[in-house]
Amino acid sequence: MFNSIRKFIGRFLLKQESSIILATIIYMIFVTCINKTFISPGNLFNIFRSTGFTLITTVGMTFILITAGLDLSVGSVLALGGVVTGLAFKAGMPIPVALLAGILMGTFIGAINGAIIVKAGIPPLIVTLGMQYAARGLVSVLTQGVPIYPLPENFMKIEQTKFFGIPTVVYVSVIIAIIGHIILTRTAFGRAIYAVGGNPEAARISGINIKKVTFVIYVITSTLAALTGILMAARLGSAEAAAGTGYELTVICASIIGGTSTFGGMGSIIGATVGALFMEILTNSLTLMRISVYWQNLVVGTILVLAVMLDQYKRNLILRKSVRR
Amino acid sequence: MADNNVVLSVQNVTKRFTGTIALKDVSIHLYENEILAILGENGAGKSTLMKILSGRYPCNEYEGTIICDGKECKFYSTSDAEAAGIAMIYQELNLELDLTVAENIMLGNLPKNRFGFVDWKKTEEIAKEALAKLNADIDVNVTVRSLSPSMQQLVCIARALVRNPKILILDEPTSVLTEKETRNLLSILRELRDQGLSCIYISHKLDEVFELCDRIIVLRDGHYINTYHKKDGYNSGKIIEDMIGRKLEVMYPTVEKEIGDEVLRVENFKVSHPYSFGKNIIEDVSFSLRKGEILGLAGLVGSGRSELLNAIFGVIPKVSGKVFLEGREIDIRNPWDAIRFGIGLLTEDRKKNGFVGTMSIKHNMTLTVLKAIKRLLFVDFRKENALARRYFDALSVKAPDMDTLITSLSGGNQQKVILAKWLMTDLKVIFLDEPTRGIDVGTKAEIYKLIGEMAKKGISIVMISSELPELIAMCDRIIVLGRGRVQGELPRGEATEVRVLQIATNTQ
Repeated sequence: MFNSIRKFIGRFLLKQESSIILATIIYMIFVTCINKTFISPGNLFNIFRSTGFTLITTVGMTFILITAGLDLSVGSVLALGGVVTGLAFKAGMPIPVALLAGILMGTFIGAINGAIIVKAGIPPLIVTLGMQYAARGLVSVLTQGVPIYPLPENFMKIEQTKFFGIPTVVYVSVIIAIIGHIILTRTAFGRAIYAVGGNPEAARISGINIKKVTFVIYVITSTLAALTGILMAARLGSAEAAAGTGYELTVICASIIGGTSTFGGMGSIIGATVGALFMEILTNSLTLMRISVYWQNLVVGTILVLAVMLDQYKRNLILRKSVRR
Repeated sequence: MADNNVVLSVQNVTKRFTGTIALKDVSIHLYENEILAILGENGAGKSTLMKILSGRYPCNEYEGTIICDGKECKFYSTSDAEAAGIAMIYQELNLELDLTVAENIMLGNLPKNRFGFVDWKKTEEIAKEALAKLNADIDVNVTVRSLSPSMQQLVCIARALVRNPKILILDEPTSVLTEKETRNLLSILRELRDQGLSCIYISHKLDEVFELCDRIIVLRDGHYINTYHKKDGYNSGKIIEDMIGRKLEVMYPTVEKEIGDEVLRVENFKVSHPYSFGKNIIEDVSFSLRKGEILGLAGLVGSGRSELLNAIFGVIPKVSGKVFLEGREIDIRNPWDAIRFGIGLLTEDRKKNGFVGTMSIKHNMTLTVLKAIKRLLFVDFRKENALARRYFDALSVKAPDMDTLITSLSGGNQQKVILAKWLMTDLKVIFLDEPTRGIDVGTKAEIYKLIGEMAKKGISIVMISSELPELIAMCDRIIVLGRGRVQGELPRGEATEVRVLQIATNTQ
């Protein structure tokens, strides 16, 4: 009995997601001890809602990080998605058309990112950094810096309606995470993502179209970022030019803290989901504990670096010790 | 030659590594005005000896003495050897590509002016002088990157010469050079010899060695074997026998099989050189392959064997050339095209591009057949498990289970997994690039058996190996590559190590 528990714990610790799950639970207990408001329904409601906004794009970002890539443009694409939808409303388009316009804008930006990375062979860091500026610039041009509002009542209801007391964005994000999880673990495409991240040359020689895989994941991620932007505009009731500033870092942090290896080939949506939750819990709790916003960034940065150090240590451990069970 | 002309003498040197002896009681003399060649197969102890002479291995790590100019020398580092007048030119050119020619030549002992700054004028002067000695017309102010490999080689030699050495050691200096550039280098070396320099020359290219060197010493398995003098005339057959000198072990399978009609034909392939811009490593190669046949590709390192197969498979681009499969011309632009036509490639470097290190045995095996085992978009796990299990058992991969990460396996078992990956596909032709490199003897025999079984099933095989005994034992036919072309073809029975090496080194 004791032995089998030990075995279970041993195997759990070797899983990529284990550290973040443990850390989240321990941290939640810790915060609750300090401030009971933390586990009040109202506060948890807030946490889940913000987590939803992070999680949607984190799913795509995890795909990208598993291939050892990066997308820094998601924050700007988020703003662009909201703004394009807002402008579509202003032009008098019906809700479905306006939604589609915003989402397709994201798809389009992702296609540009993917095409340049694949065709020109420029590192994703550079391409998406450029796109971060370019897309944000496009947002400024389109809005002239002025928020777009009012938005139609029915549009705002999309995000603000609650089923069983839970906001739509939580449902949307969970559904996307489940689809992402299925893609990664059960489809040939998901297997290809892992192979490209683990060893692109070997994947190519085994007949995997690594360019196609790379292209598609950037398209998916940008599309999801635009979708997030539209939901955010619905929540706020206006499409803001400055929406999503710094969003890319939150998303990348969530995925990495959730056990996605920046060296490629390893990572999971379950881990990334808990990572996204952890990021929200962290900022929420620091506010509850009355720690100044100025300190919050310092804490987040430190935790990110610690998470990557742990990841590196564990990656070696997993790669070397996987035989012993 | 009298004894008093000895400039360097190695006496009873023995060098041990944990478990093995790399050099055993080797004594060698080098005379004044002489170019001495040291020949031997890989692992014969040549490079160990050179590392001892150049101070890479400090003198307290081996037994024996080195006498330089009549005095016993103890080298603790490469600079000690340099101070004693020994300069070494390595196989891989160790130049700083983005520094100028003059800077490279003077690197490490740049002259300084009275303020302690580098005296650039003097730097250029010395560099120019050194290059002039080599009849090399090179601008000392251009970066080394912009020079051709042969010019870079000359810069290396110039750098060695400014240190005024008495002895120059060259390790495979012509491996990146064209024939014309090689001629030029050889004539320069002859001139330097006449000016009083002694050289030790290491090369696999026997024709060059025969032409250039005054004396040849053969090493094998760390032992001194024989000395040959130019004045007596070189006998390539005898020298190669001395280099090989071992019996074939009985570990190769004898397979009764039928060789059928032509399956694959490659015509006029041309492939550009991977490191040298504007040069072709394969100039014009054509060959054909029959059903169930094992065809060996022999040739020296750098003869473009791997590049040829990689280009046919679509891993690297070809310059030109046609491929016919079962009489029909096919267009392969990518590996997945090749796989679709039933061709497989086991790559030279397992770790680099053979397997995905973050994946399990099972997932590595089924990478090539993801399309075949999916239903709609989903991988059919039951099909995948059954398929992987079949090959896992058939190839007796030694691992706890199929979900074990591939990196935790031994090299031989990793190779089995990669073979399984190709066996799962609808395989007609497989290219095996060094299939037994870095694999222990026991597993090697298993791999040979698998190769034999594949041929028996009617799969056609092209095999590259640097181990000639293996190639000769396994292959029905061997073609020898050299200078970017097919230099000769040997059917089973006629292929011997001596014949293959003679053709490869152009000393028939």
